[in-house]
Amino acid sequence: MSGKAVFKTFAGGIHPPYNKELAKDKAIRECPVPAKVYIPLSQHIGAPNESLVAAGDHVELGQRIGASEAFVSAPVHSSVAGTVKEIAEVTGFTGAKVKCVVITPDAEQPQFAKQPGKDLDAYSDEEIRAIAREAGLVGMGGAAFPTHVKLTPPADKPVDTVIINACECEPFLTCDHRLMLERPADLVAGLKLLMKAVGARDGIIGIEANKMDAVEVMREAAGGVEAVKVEVLDVKYPEGAEKMLIFALTGRKVPPGKLPSEVGCLVQNVGTAIALYEAAAWGKPLYERVVTVSGDGIAQPDNLLVRIGTPIQDLLDACGGTKGSLAKVVMGGPMTGWAQPDAAAPVVKGTSGVLALTADMVDVAEEHECVRCGKCVDVCPMFLQPNFIVQAVKRGEWDKAEMWGALDCFECGCCSFTCPAYIPHVTYVRKAKADIAALKKR
Amino acid sequence: MAGNLLTNVSPHLHKKDETISRAMRDVLIALAPAAIWAMVVFGFNVVLVLAVSCAAAALAEVVMRKLRRRKITLKDYSAMVTAVLFAFLLPPTTPLWVVAIGSFIAIAVFKELFGGLGKNVLNPAVTARLLLWITPMAVYTTRFVRPFYWKTTGFFTPIATSFSKGVTSFQTLAGNQTDLAVAATPLSLLKSGRWGVDVLTGPTPIGATWTNSAGRPTLGSLFLGLKSGCIGEVSVLLLLLGGLYLIWRGTIDWRIPTGIIGSFLLLNLVFWNQPLYNLFTGGLFLGAFFMATDWVTSPVTRRGKWIYAVGIGVTVFLIRMLHYRPEGVAIAIFMWNIGTLLIDRYVAQPKFGEVGVGVLNKLPILPEPVPAPAKKEA
Repeated sequence: MSGKAVFKTFAGGIHPPYNKELAKDKAIRECPVPAKVYIPLSQHIGAPNESLVAAGDHVELGQRIGASEAFVSAPVHSSVAGTVKEIAEVTGFTGAKVKCVVITPDAEQPQFAKQPGKDLDAYSDEEIRAIAREAGLVGMGGAAFPTHVKLTPPADKPVDTVIINACECEPFLTCDHRLMLERPADLVAGLKLLMKAVGARDGIIGIEANKMDAVEVMREAAGGVEAVKVEVLDVKYPEGAEKMLIFALTGRKVPPGKLPSEVGCLVQNVGTAIALYEAAAWGKPLYERVVTVSGDGIAQPDNLLVRIGTPIQDLLDACGGTKGSLAKVVMGGPMTGWAQPDAAAPVVKGTSGVLALTADMVDVAEEHECVRCGKCVDVCPMFLQPNFIVQAVKRGEWDKAEMWGALDCFECGCCSFTCPAYIPHVTYVRKAKADIAALKKR
Repeated sequence: MAGNLLTNVSPHLHKKDETISRAMRDVLIALAPAAIWAMVVFGFNVVLVLAVSCAAAALAEVVMRKLRRRKITLKDYSAMVTAVLFAFLLPPTTPLWVVAIGSFIAIAVFKELFGGLGKNVLNPAVTARLLLWITPMAVYTTRFVRPFYWKTTGFFTPIATSFSKGVTSFQTLAGNQTDLAVAATPLSLLKSGRWGVDVLTGPTPIGATWTNSAGRPTLGSLFLGLKSGCIGEVSVLLLLLGGLYLIWRGTIDWRIPTGIIGSFLLLNLVFWNQPLYNLFTGGLFLGAFFMATDWVTSPVTRRGKWIYAVGIGVTVFLIRMLHYRPEGVAIAIFMWNIGTLLIDRYVAQPKFGEVGVGVLNKLPILPEPVPAPAKKEA
């Protein structure tokens, strides 16, 4: 190819150091069963779950251990066969205490018994939604919104396009890349199920141009399905943000404060689509997921198939431990993930990566007064004015914070990444969101 | 596991080398060629002026920061950028004590009293220069020497403008009067309509003839920098190179110089006011690339930057066309520094996917009264 190919993309955004080569060639392998699993009862956005088990109970692999009657909720399942030790408050990855079912795994772990002979084409849309709900599916890119809710768009907003978000625009993360390389057929099957569930005509798999091997594999796998297209996207962060992705692929713009169904789109993560396939074909609930363990502070970066509830420490140990002077342990990607005070928090359904970063990688400096360079405004993919949001929050002018766009921010972190004054915009935006919500509730 | 992990909010990466001091260092690098050229044209005086300006700025920063009990921030080079830009706006023969006072005021008043870098509403260098203009010190800052005057006095003989009994003249530092011809700047020539009367003719040290048969500086000599004027504004070529370097480095936004120079050139073309001659004279390039692009005092949105830039271009044109003063770049930038406050507050930037928004920002209506900032819980 001569010259630089132009791929689909959006306006704004940044080019962080990607560091994908650390783990992109490592085939997915199983993480050893930990000494104890801590399964948070609620791993989704929505109503909290109630525990269905008590201390002393024996649970099977994939047994439902937490559920809620509310529509916007997703049940959780045991990721091991073992004995419930207790139901305890454990510090989760966000730093808040979460109610967990603590299970001591049996010495012998059974293989999951696949229910054979399912005809995927025979499912109705109603059945697919029921399967997604029963399997406890949530968005596995990090947002953890219950999938069956997403699959139930408002009646007046028909969805015509299902998009598989395979950008993986966050640096370091490679779990979706590996899934595409190793299980392309399952992903296409999952996408077909998603399309059927919402009655969509088109399916698009959007992949960033730094994963051309995955593009080839996916094109081959999708070859037999006419409605499914594989599109290549420019390598830019945050290409995988829902609104940016929809715009890049279809040219449609989701208005501020609206959902993708407003423009007839549904976006699902690679992991979620494959999990839906597993649930529909094998009857397997979501109790394990692929997690990238990477970073310049990891001895042997890898992609692990991890049981939900495994503490971070077990993942680090499975990858040869840490090296160098560790500055941060992050759950999720380096742009939107959560820095951990220790390695105790358990992996949840939305955990795409665990990163150990050394002081070289983590560039921290004292926050300077805003110098109004406008770089944050330039890179903001939502065209907000992050510097003024920060200013308004500092002054307690919540109406102005809203005017500059605090509520439309999805916290991609481009502004802070590019800020010469090292202002942590996202911290201020979160405060603005919380306080404006509290104000509006009055 | 190390005990003291950082737990700040995302993002956990930062763009490499994207710091305030890196940007300020870039500006100094971009200004260096013009400074060296000024030294070639106007002699060793230029070095003295620059040195005194930097020293006074550093002193002002240290004193003010100490008084306000803040951290000394000389390391971010922003005071040095202001000092160099301020010196660039002065004639090469400005007495050093005037330079020192001006530079001190630029930092102490127009930067630190406003709250330091980031809080200053006005460009410190530009505002301090305008302040000198309306004080009695103005007599020392409005006399220009012709390029390569030092051929007659010697390169290392410092000379300064002096003022006594209503007469300005040039003196060496030892106090000896020197009989250097006062040169009109090309712009004042243009303004007064005295084409070719006061302009000195003759071969330059590098051999080329820099005025045409009418005695008017040629466009080529204006572009290269063979003309009288302030220290920093002589060579359009070198300023342009420095400005392009800053754009390439991502330090300044290309929209601002483009808007200023574009609108100014367009208006001069439409009204046929010696377009290229006007473009290459005075401080237009210095202002467009180095003063108007100051992060702190220019708007943050793309739309705002265009309005600001075109506003400056139009204002400079109006001043040069209609006002009695020959030059208007500094005052135009000063005016639009203030305009920036309004632009940033009122010019709306539609959010992604937002349609049907007005031109102006509207405040959303939140429940009254707007409360004080939530108190931190202990």
